Amino acid sequence: MNDIGEFTLMIALATSLYGTVAYVMAARGNRIDLYLSADKVPLITWACIMISSIALWKAFFTNDFSLQYVYAYSNIELDYFYKFSSFWGGQKGSLLFWALILTSYMMVVHIQNRSKNLIVVPYAMAVMLAITCFFLFLLNFSTNPFERIPLPPEDGRGLNPLLQNYWMVIHPPTLYLGYVGFTVPFAFAMAALISKNLDDAWIRLTRKWTVVSWFFLCMGNLFGASWAYVELGWGGYWAWDPVENAAFMPLIVATAYLHSVMIQEKKDMMKVWNMSLILLTFVMTIFGTFITRSGLIQSVHTFDEATLGYYFLGLLFFIIAVCTALIISRLPLLKSKNELDSFLSREAGFLFNNLLLLGIAFATFWGTIFPIISEAIRGVKITVGPPFYNQVNVPIGLALLALIGIGPIIAWRKATWSNLKKNFLKPLMFALIGGAILFPVVPLSNRSEIYTYIAFILCIFVLSSMLIEFYKGTMARYASSETYLGALGSLIWNNKRRYGGYTVHIGVVMIYAGIAASSSYGIHTEKRLKIGETIEIRDYMLRYEKLAAIQATSVKTRIIAQLAVEKDGKKIWTARPEKEFYKGQNQPVSEVDVRSTLASDLYVILADFSEDESATIKVYHNPMVKWLWTGGWIIALGTMVCAWPDRLEQRRRLERLKLQKIVFSPAQE
Amino acid sequence: MIIYLKKIIFVFFIVLFVTIINSSIASAGAVLSDLENQLMCKCDDKCGKVLINCTCSTADKNRKKFTKMLESGLTVDQIVQQQIEKYGETVLSAPTKNGFNLTAWVIPFGAIMIGGIGIRKLINGWVGKNKPDIELQNIKGGIASEPGSEKPSEASSSKYSRRLKDELDRLET
Repeated sequence: MNDIGEFTLMIALATSLYGTVAYVMAARGNRIDLYLSADKVPLITWACIMISSIALWKAFFTNDFSLQYVYAYSNIELDYFYKFSSFWGGQKGSLLFWALILTSYMMVVHIQNRSKNLIVVPYAMAVMLAITCFFLFLLNFSTNPFERIPLPPEDGRGLNPLLQNYWMVIHPPTLYLGYVGFTVPFAFAMAALISKNLDDAWIRLTRKWTVVSWFFLCMGNLFGASWAYVELGWGGYWAWDPVENAAFMPLIVATAYLHSVMIQEKKDMMKVWNMSLILLTFVMTIFGTFITRSGLIQSVHTFDEATLGYYFLGLLFFIIAVCTALIISRLPLLKSKNELDSFLSREAGFLFNNLLLLGIAFATFWGTIFPIISEAIRGVKITVGPPFYNQVNVPIGLALLALIGIGPIIAWRKATWSNLKKNFLKPLMFALIGGAILFPVVPLSNRSEIYTYIAFILCIFVLSSMLIEFYKGTMARYASSETYLGALGSLIWNNKRRYGGYTVHIGVVMIYAGIAASSSYGIHTEKRLKIGETIEIRDYMLRYEKLAAIQATSVKTRIIAQLAVEKDGKKIWTARPEKEFYKGQNQPVSEVDVRSTLASDLYVILADFSEDESATIKVYHNPMVKWLWTGGWIIALGTMVCAWPDRLEQRRRLERLKLQKIVFSPAQE
Repeated sequence: MIIYLKKIIFVFFIVLFVTIINSSIASAGAVLSDLENQLMCKCDDKCGKVLINCTCSTADKNRKKFTKMLESGLTVDQIVQQQIEKYGETVLSAPTKNGFNLTAWVIPFGAIMIGGIGIRKLINGWVGKNKPDIELQNIKGGIASEPGSEKPSEASSSKYSRRLKDELDRLET
């Protein structure tokens, strides 16, 4: 099976190379025969990579340690659940996994569009196949997952204990689905540039791909935060590690793109900007891969054998050079037909939203690469860690939060004074009342707490502006509906993009609130306890009951501390934090225990223990962390509504175009 | 009215900014956390984590050491300085705010300010370009409709333009 896996990788490379050339020639020469021939390539490439992937999975499940990759990331004792996820545990498998997702997406694009837009689609397929070729080249000639060991060992080295967590099965695939997903809008953007079809057709063709990829990237980041929270045992969820930054940056740029693309759809403006943003989003995904695989920047996520940095750097420069040249050569065709009418308009709001989003992305990028710049210029290696990102990104993030509230309720074209008064008065009043109520309650003793207070006021402003929009829409429809719920349902169903988007904003507000509260008001305490002794935090009292050792497997021993948690004299929970010791590993892994409510998390860590059964217990009280995860699910709901097929959309678009013609034509003549 | 509102908002933000800048970063109880936030973990595994986020045994040892140093009367700055002398600038979790490192802090905000000015100029240019067109149309309309034409009165014109604006406001807001 390993031979077949290796062979199909070669076939996949040859086929995708052929497909790239054939699609381009078919489009350039209008050759139907070549197009029909190339038409089979996505399926063949996907099938080959799928066979290779199955071969690798089989090697993991059958403990085939003749494969160097299986030996490095698995062992006999490893649970099947983690054998499945070991596939992407290292560099070689993760690249194969990337290629598998990319070709699967390509198949779907192919099926969706095979009879549509024969000018743009062949170029888009060619771009996707060319990117597939790059990954297949690496898999065949640089980092082959089917590399053999001449004398196979009896057992493998096993998967890193930190990766033996259920999030390992969820987080990387989600993130990859997001990363790779942006290849589709990027490919269509490039195809539009190459074929000079620069209306909004490519945007409409890829809108759902963009939304879904954004969603996966967003959830991938949140899942990663959730994983860090339960696995790393330091009470936090985000450390601004370079690889975390690498996943965060494309998300932020893609968010800017998702917003600015609406202006192109509605007003036929900002074509160059949107092209640049989708290029930047894709470049950021490759940059993230470059960071993980170059070992150039110190990160907790860097792969053991980070040797592919130069390949990705080369790809990065190639993409930037080609895309920039293409955009410059098509500048006359990308000229906007319309212009902004006023500084006080939703379009201007979108521009400033883009500025702030790109500001955050740039600050993060700058912080990530600054150690390299410093070393190159001063010869001094420095570290850029969380204090930098928090100090720079928090004020920008707060300004962005304000814009999240302003953007959806300010009028398109030009906001009049009456419009501003009508739409902003109530949310502003709610925000001010909320701020006044919170003022005596929340502490304001340091910078972080003041920022949090501002964040809360802005959250109330945004939330109230969104809820008022839902309320107004529901009441307007209530006349023709029997119930309020029916009116709300019909409102959302008939305006999926708009109200789905508002729902996403509500989720974002919850995330903001969760981050603000947990990073400012969190407290922790630590105490060495003997059996029967207690440790207190806020209203909770934790009584240390016992320490137990369990030999879970032949390679894993669990040491579990048991603590009874009381609040107001009543037992409410039993905490069981533990430490896991793996054979052959220097550091034990902390498995924290968390009691999570919307108000706060009680986060218990077994920091240390000794033979007399005394243990050092660390307890964190983190307010509103659950708001982050809940916000994530609300974003998921909103995205689902946005991406749901909408039969009315085409009709609305035509009506809008007709209106645009009536409204804008006289001003342009 | 708008100018008055702008002034209030401006003063509000100035007050807020000064308050934030003047607020102390760490309270007395959070001195160790402040120190842990400023330093990276220097374990053999090169974990790349800030000390406050690290759970390895080296980090635990260092925490105990720093607690004793703080109890002995050393300040956070003195301990940080000691660590810099031992490991170099790389032990700091963020660049210092002087010399070349200052660029790390200034450039992101500088870029946003430049971008903001650019957007403002762009919008002003667009708005300025559109205004004369509209005025020209009004003049043309006036000339064309002079002799016996059915030129709408100023009141009805503004009434319709208000209505158009209101409808546009309602359209997809």
